[in-house]
Amino acid sequence: MLELERLFKAVYLWLERISGSLGIPHFWFDLFTMILVAGIILAVMSIAAMFLVWWERKIGAHFQVRFGPMRTGWHGSLQLPADGIKLLLKEDTTPAAADKPVFLIAPVIIFVASFLAFVCLPFGKGLIVRDLNIGILYILAITTFTVVSILMAGWGSNNKYSLLGGFRSAAQIISYEVPLTLSVLGVVLLTQSLSMVKIVSAQEQVWNWNIWKQPLGFLIYLTAAVAEVNRTPFDIPEAEQELVAGYNIEYSGMKWAMFFFAEYTNLVLVCGVATTLFLGGWNGPILPSWIWFLAKTLFLIWVVMWFRWTFPRVRVDQLMAFGWKFLLPLAFLNLILTGLLA
Amino acid sequence: MNIIKITANGIYNLILGMWTTVKYLFSHAITLQYPKERWPMPERSRGVVVLTTDPETGKLKCIACAMCVKTCPTSAITMEPETDETGKKQRYPKVFQVDQGVCIFCGLCEEVCPVKEKAIKFVNQYEFSVYTKQELIYDMEKLAEIGKGSK
Repeated sequence: MLELERLFKAVYLWLERISGSLGIPHFWFDLFTMILVAGIILAVMSIAAMFLVWWERKIGAHFQVRFGPMRTGWHGSLQLPADGIKLLLKEDTTPAAADKPVFLIAPVIIFVASFLAFVCLPFGKGLIVRDLNIGILYILAITTFTVVSILMAGWGSNNKYSLLGGFRSAAQIISYEVPLTLSVLGVVLLTQSLSMVKIVSAQEQVWNWNIWKQPLGFLIYLTAAVAEVNRTPFDIPEAEQELVAGYNIEYSGMKWAMFFFAEYTNLVLVCGVATTLFLGGWNGPILPSWIWFLAKTLFLIWVVMWFRWTFPRVRVDQLMAFGWKFLLPLAFLNLILTGLLA
Repeated sequence: MNIIKITANGIYNLILGMWTTVKYLFSHAITLQYPKERWPMPERSRGVVVLTTDPETGKLKCIACAMCVKTCPTSAITMEPETDETGKKQRYPKVFQVDQGVCIFCGLCEEVCPVKEKAIKFVNQYEFSVYTKQELIYDMEKLAEIGKGSK
């Protein structure tokens, strides 16, 4: 009943039959299905981002023994549609001295980069847009565009706070990209493949999950991933007390919403990749595969939110020292140990 | 050796912090949803000033002695007495106004009131915001009406 992959397969075959009987060229049919799939992913991502903003507010409130939003809808569940409509109707301002093309393109790039990475994230058995044979490399490469966008936003705004935020973000993401990639390499060594589907297929049973073989790698990945998506305790690019809001200070309306949206889709992405690499992806008994993937990803997102409401922000120099002097040697140690033992 | 000790200590403290916060996550929120729920006000809390009514006769208990008018530090009370010539020549207030915007809720008027069980007193009703200053000046009828309704 809940086997989504069968439903998609049936819809695909039905569409193919119709287009065949109408005599539509295969190129147009392919284009149409691609746009359809992209639309589905976009819709899923929008709902996920909206849900996560609400969830973060609720969880944050309950960590502080408050209720959070309670008035709009059941327990404030309609807060986000309300906020979204507000953002759409807001005046979209551009600073007079801004570098206009850079300023305008930056939110588009961060949005596209976080959206493109979902191409090879396996949401369930057979629920993957394209199983590239270099899947994980592709994800690591495409998410690096985030830093370009943040730098562009920081530079284009012509504001000292946003520029500082952009620089800090660039320094942070470049530093933490290295241990992140090295921790992923451990998994790749074990699986001997870069394909996301093969990595998931290699961990079918609970005792086969990579987290048991790579506990250190998992911790390094999680730490570096939290830094990658600029969340507390590594949220120095948007540290409110120091930089007001960081790189997105001059943005308003829909452009700001795109940054916000990308922030949460990136969170889903890093947690989804962690699920795929370390927690067995879609594998699990009884329930359909996509529910298992969703449950594991949501659990990891909850853990990251838990970090946010527990740990204080680290200083810039502490962040750099931790990244280069501690996390990187540890990641190399993990890689060497994996190479020796595997 | 030292770095291992520092690292272990740091990890222990991180786990300790996370355990502390997660305990609060699953504890019940202490927020009071104000307009829906309200705190029970204490018996002697000082909200709005009212005039009390004698339940037997249905008249105000006030004997128009003007003690409260004299003692009021902010002159929030205005009163004009009148004498009832029939029978026992009882004094009663013709006009009685309390400016709730000027009142400082000190409770002196209630303290000096010579009437048994107080003719003027504070009740625990604390929500009396209005849009104009004029509405805060309560006349005798309004004071008596609130005095009947609340404790």
